[in-house]
Amino acid sequence: MKKWVMMILLCGGVMAGCSEKTYEPREIVSETDVCKICNMSIVHNAYAGQIALKNGDYEIFDDIGCLMEYIASNGDEEIGAAYIKDATKSEWIDVFKAVYVYNKVYWTPMNYGVVAFDTKQAAQEWMTQEGEGKLLHYKDLHDFNWGIHK
Amino acid sequence: MSHTVYAEFDIQEAINAASPGEVIHIPAGRYQGNFIVTKPLTLLGEDGTEVISKNNEPTLRIENTATISIGNLKLSGKSKAIVASNVDGLELSNMQIKDAHMGVHIQRSNNIHIHDIHVTGSEGHYAEKGNGIAIYKSEDILIENNHIEQMQDGIYVEEVNSIVVQHNNVTRSRYATHFMYTSDAKAFFNNYLSNVTGFMVMMTTDIFLENNTVENHSDYNGYGMLLYDVQRASIAKNIIKNNRTGLALQKSSMIQIDTNDFQMNQTAVEGTKVSDNTKASHNSFTGNILTARSDQLGFQLNSNYYDDYTGIDIEGNGYGDVPYVAMSSFGQWMVRQPVYQYFVASPSVVLLTSLDQQINKMESRVLVDHTPILAINHEIVNNKLDVVQTLAGLLLIVSSLWLWKRGITE
Repeated sequence: MKKWVMMILLCGGVMAGCSEKTYEPREIVSETDVCKICNMSIVHNAYAGQIALKNGDYEIFDDIGCLMEYIASNGDEEIGAAYIKDATKSEWIDVFKAVYVYNKVYWTPMNYGVVAFDTKQAAQEWMTQEGEGKLLHYKDLHDFNWGIHK
Repeated sequence: MSHTVYAEFDIQEAINAASPGEVIHIPAGRYQGNFIVTKPLTLLGEDGTEVISKNNEPTLRIENTATISIGNLKLSGKSKAIVASNVDGLELSNMQIKDAHMGVHIQRSNNIHIHDIHVTGSEGHYAEKGNGIAIYKSEDILIENNHIEQMQDGIYVEEVNSIVVQHNNVTRSRYATHFMYTSDAKAFFNNYLSNVTGFMVMMTTDIFLENNTVENHSDYNGYGMLLYDVQRASIAKNIIKNNRTGLALQKSSMIQIDTNDFQMNQTAVEGTKVSDNTKASHNSFTGNILTARSDQLGFQLNSNYYDDYTGIDIEGNGYGDVPYVAMSSFGQWMVRQPVYQYFVASPSVVLLTSLDQQINKMESRVLVDHTPILAINHEIVNNKLDVVQTLAGLLLIVSSLWLWKRGITE
């Protein structure tokens, strides 16, 4: 009997160790959270981003442009998950799967003009209300010219 | 139960009926509504004129016009108090704005003069509020003698060319003055107290910050001045006192830090990714826990006064004979992990810093001042004979001797 119990416990331990670790987004704390890149405090939550590192730390960003600058500087090996706020729903969505829209007149905290959505349809609806923009995906953000565009 | 009575004078009707260039005097009283000006006018309230927004629209809008002057009003409402768009020539003066989400919002306008305005936000966190005075995409701006408290940013400036911000007081807000994407900016004689950060300067070129006082920005993320991605800045003659970090430079180049007084900051100057043409000279560092910290790039220190300098001046030229080393291992760690700031004055850190200073005198290449000044205002004073004092001294001695001799003979 003891053998069986030991076997079950061992198998359970092995399975728990092999299961994929999940990285949940955390809430923004306006009193203390500042953007890792530009140091601005996070007061416009609708544009905020965060990276959950594999070591358990979180890096917070005020704008998707700052988040991308962090990835460009530090690589993505240590990233457990990355989240950005959906511009309309104010919910955290996966940076790598989000749909983005760029228009230089869209206001964002760093004025980069890129906002994120969970679906293409949500992005289209945004453009209907806020003005036509350019649809982008995560891979496009690496080559995007982050900065103010006149 | 109090009952609010509104004045009968119709402000909008008077605006509509006025000829361009006319002066409208608003009789004293309380007015409720949302008003719009689209022609050149002067609007002057008599003492005791109060205008209250009727809904969530701005109390007063000024659009597509020129040469407007508005003054002597009290404004309040839930939204923005004043919004000006596409205006060439606007003067706003002598106003009190209370409990509005945002005070003054100017966009796409030129030749703006805002002075003697008092903006007071409501209680609550700055994340829930708007800015005191905000200027977007405009040119030739003068903002002076304003008093702003409890807003998100006291003065917010974005995409502006040519602006002077002077003699303003901002307290208990997020950033006292926030420059973004601005060029040719000057800030003189402002007094910023107890905000999260005094000056927040981002992506800006050609800026002068002179003769300002930035004090008590000592929260977890507090800075007296923070420059991020700034090119060509002059920071001179400021008093930077009792901040968590007095002056922080990030990703910036060609910054001249001259003749400032850094007092009692946790860290006086911090630099990360700063170009080697950034130089701090003739500043006074007194009572700071850490004088300077940086990444491996560092910045230049030249002829500053440091109250913790222990060298001597045998040559008598006013400069210490051995270099001052601001480099500190703990300071470098604090740049990487700001949370280490809570250990900054612990005995082990003090010991480490002392050891650092001894070792780094020989080895350090960054944050070393080879010509530290020994006194803030060094003057060589020759020995001079004070005739009056000498005569008085002689008189006292002679008198004493005479009294002594008289005492003996008697």
